[in-house]
Amino acid sequence: MIQTENKTAVIRERIENIYKYLHRHKEYINRLNVFPVPDGDTGLNMTLTIQGALANLQDYNEEPISTGEYLNHFSEQMLINSRGCSGVILSLYFQGVSQVIVNSDFSKENIFKALENGYKNAYEGTENPQEGTILTLMREFKEKYGELMKEDDDPVIIIKKCIPYLKEVLKKTPDMLPVLKQAGVVDSGGAGFVIILQGINRELSLNELAFSSLPVSIILNVNRVTKKYLNGKLSNFNKNSIAALLPHLGIEKLHNIRLHNIIEDVKSLINNLQSNKNRLLNKKAIISDLEDMENSWNPEIKLKYCTEFILKTNKVSSKEQIKEIIDKYGDSLIILNSGDKYKVHIHTNKPESVFKDVSKYGELLFTKVDDMKKQHRNFISSDTVDYEREKSIFCIVSGEGFSKILKELGADDVLCYGKNKPSVNHLVKELNKLRTKNIIVAADDKDILMALKYAASLSKSNVHIVESNNVISLISMIMGISKELDITTMFESIMRSLNDTRFCGIARSVRNTIAENGKTVNKNDFFVVYNGKIILSDKNLEQIINKSIKELIKEESLITIYKGIPAKKQKSIIPKLEKTFPELDFEEYYGGQYQYHYYITFE
Amino acid sequence: MDKKILIITADNLGLSKEQIDYPDIEILKFPVVVNDKEYRGSNEYTAQWLNEKYLKEKVVAKTTSIVKGELIEIVEKNKDKYDLIIHVVMSSEMSIATFTIAKNVKEMYENTIPIINIDSRQVLSGVGNVLLEVIDIIKKNDNTDDIIKLSQEVVQNTFNYFVMADLNYLYRGGRIGKAKALMGSVLRITPILGLMGDDKEGQVIPLGKGRTFKQVNSQIIDLIKAKMAEKPATVIKRLNIVGFGDNKDAFSDLEEKLKTIPCDDFIIGKADFVSAVYCGPKSYTVAITI
Repeated sequence: MIQTENKTAVIRERIENIYKYLHRHKEYINRLNVFPVPDGDTGLNMTLTIQGALANLQDYNEEPISTGEYLNHFSEQMLINSRGCSGVILSLYFQGVSQVIVNSDFSKENIFKALENGYKNAYEGTENPQEGTILTLMREFKEKYGELMKEDDDPVIIIKKCIPYLKEVLKKTPDMLPVLKQAGVVDSGGAGFVIILQGINRELSLNELAFSSLPVSIILNVNRVTKKYLNGKLSNFNKNSIAALLPHLGIEKLHNIRLHNIIEDVKSLINNLQSNKNRLLNKKAIISDLEDMENSWNPEIKLKYCTEFILKTNKVSSKEQIKEIIDKYGDSLIILNSGDKYKVHIHTNKPESVFKDVSKYGELLFTKVDDMKKQHRNFISSDTVDYEREKSIFCIVSGEGFSKILKELGADDVLCYGKNKPSVNHLVKELNKLRTKNIIVAADDKDILMALKYAASLSKSNVHIVESNNVISLISMIMGISKELDITTMFESIMRSLNDTRFCGIARSVRNTIAENGKTVNKNDFFVVYNGKIILSDKNLEQIINKSIKELIKEESLITIYKGIPAKKQKSIIPKLEKTFPELDFEEYYGGQYQYHYYITFE
Repeated sequence: MDKKILIITADNLGLSKEQIDYPDIEILKFPVVVNDKEYRGSNEYTAQWLNEKYLKEKVVAKTTSIVKGELIEIVEKNKDKYDLIIHVVMSSEMSIATFTIAKNVKEMYENTIPIINIDSRQVLSGVGNVLLEVIDIIKKNDNTDDIIKLSQEVVQNTFNYFVMADLNYLYRGGRIGKAKALMGSVLRITPILGLMGDDKEGQVIPLGKGRTFKQVNSQIIDLIKAKMAEKPATVIKRLNIVGFGDNKDAFSDLEEKLKTIPCDDFIIGKADFVSAVYCGPKSYTVAITI
């Protein structure tokens, strides 16, 4: 038997060092936040994503695997443990990279392909990708790498040479994204990416990594050549030539035990150690082994995506008509009809084309695309779900006070995550814990949205994600929900009521910055954020509350103040407000939000 | 109409007597118990009287079922003057005792005069709507089977929406049903409750909630439009909006919003003493029949 060298412990150590390097720069990345409140958690999210992946990665001591396979497993764990947008985009990038280097081919050309695929995977997985973000840095990295590849052969040197250029690109991100320019900061995700590359460069420069496993492509070629030889299709090959070839294949680098054993069998066969009859049987067995192995490397997944949608239409009158429109795209077609709504399930490689074609006939109320491999993984996993409920409204919030308010208003389930945003893995566990067939889920921070989408694709429930980005919209959503409605109608109604309540947030600045209106916000001043923009600032908290109400009140009659943790010990501001604004009604509640002293709603 | 038909109902209609265009009608009075003393609706004991008691004296009020003897007395008095008696009763789910009394009296007189008991499956102004629709039916048709069939259609197409400023009145009166889920919220909310004629369970159900009366009024309009789309109907046959006082702006806002929906008979009803027990001040209701 071959003694497979186990490099996983070494690679793990390298990744841990890169993680520690990133961790040391975490606070710097956190501070690069658009709004001058200390809620920037990009550094934290990136760090926790890698930390979570390391914590959940197997040792592989018992079943050794190649470097490429180990990195592939690591990237999968990153995705599962990713937090926040930055964590998810970073995970998608490493997933794309590892999909290429899974073959352990660390040649400069293959690494370039990996970087290209990493960028593509991250870009395509990001909704509304923007310039001036981490995606720009990822793209510039692969382009610079491609350029420098012509001059150097060593990928380690090429990566090292890319870093100064990427730092220059990072400095230009404020010119690409106006919000960064106004805040006077570079993109935090991009900064995190450069720091990770610096960490990688450090590790590669200090400790040369020997990537010596044979790539999958070569393994498969060995497989094919051997099979052809055994089938007698390589006429110019004789037993001596293949016997001579095998030692030159670098069989000692063949970490795949199965192929190694097959090649050993071929060697025995060639050396004519068996009788002619046994030889024939053995030859057939080896060919069968080779075919099995090839199939296991190249599984036939004809239709990759399990695709679902709900079409609301008055232009289609039967299920057959829907079938005619999309039948050509795949199989496993299931069409359910209720009134003017059609719920459709299809396995296809072209979900976007399916959506494009059917949307000509009406409005797509819901779409869902699942990777079949992931579905298979869900299906075969041991923790099968027995649904206990038909539907649930699930809210994910940071503040303890809001958690209580939402629960009492009728949210079936609430996850109060506190200060650290939940990872994909955490969200999957929470979704599965609900044991509910249909879940409508909404979070109070848009930075959770991407993780939530990945968690939804891994969850065993039908998850309908409400793309909310603040806790006030969650209250509007719960207020507007009628639980008597079916899940689709309920979801539609939620989307209508989501932004019904106007509100602003009041926080204290942690640095000097310039607001959208050109006015300076000084460090320690209070400022008001309304519709994503700083509209007012003042040194005095009481005055800025009064100013914000005067500025923002329209026809509303009820002002609700939700107190956050920074204002927890402050006395109630209601009595003074009632004197200043006698025509308005005021109510005050504890929301428990971390960064904003107050949220003020106008109803 | 060839047959002489008497209608019996009770005084929880959300209508004044003048708004009922039918001469042959007897209206029973529900006993209302306020702090252990019994009252009946009159010019003195009105919704406004009770609301003041609620606000100033924090009284506890309840209703009991109609009095069987009083129903018998009405039937006895009229049995020889009429060919048919129709008794429009409040929801049997809300007061099984009242419906049982109506059923017993019908059985008592089965060999004397036919009595049709119509379970309105409604309370408050919803009963008033069913009553007015039944009157419309008998003005055109006096066939007993047709009256029963058409009345059933009316019951199933009558929907009542309540804006309750304080759910405690409903809770103390024992009529909270599934709306209990809306009680005890940290955040002050104004709930919308409903009694839907096509709901098999016939319970008061929570339909929505808002932070302001304007919000709940808009939601009621959406709910009515959704119900009309579901049936489907383009026009409301009859609508009765009743306010229980001390909330003029909210009531006017709903009235204006309701006027944007096509309606054949738009009624501004009267808050009655019995309904006020469950509604309390600032509440208002709208019943529609489509």
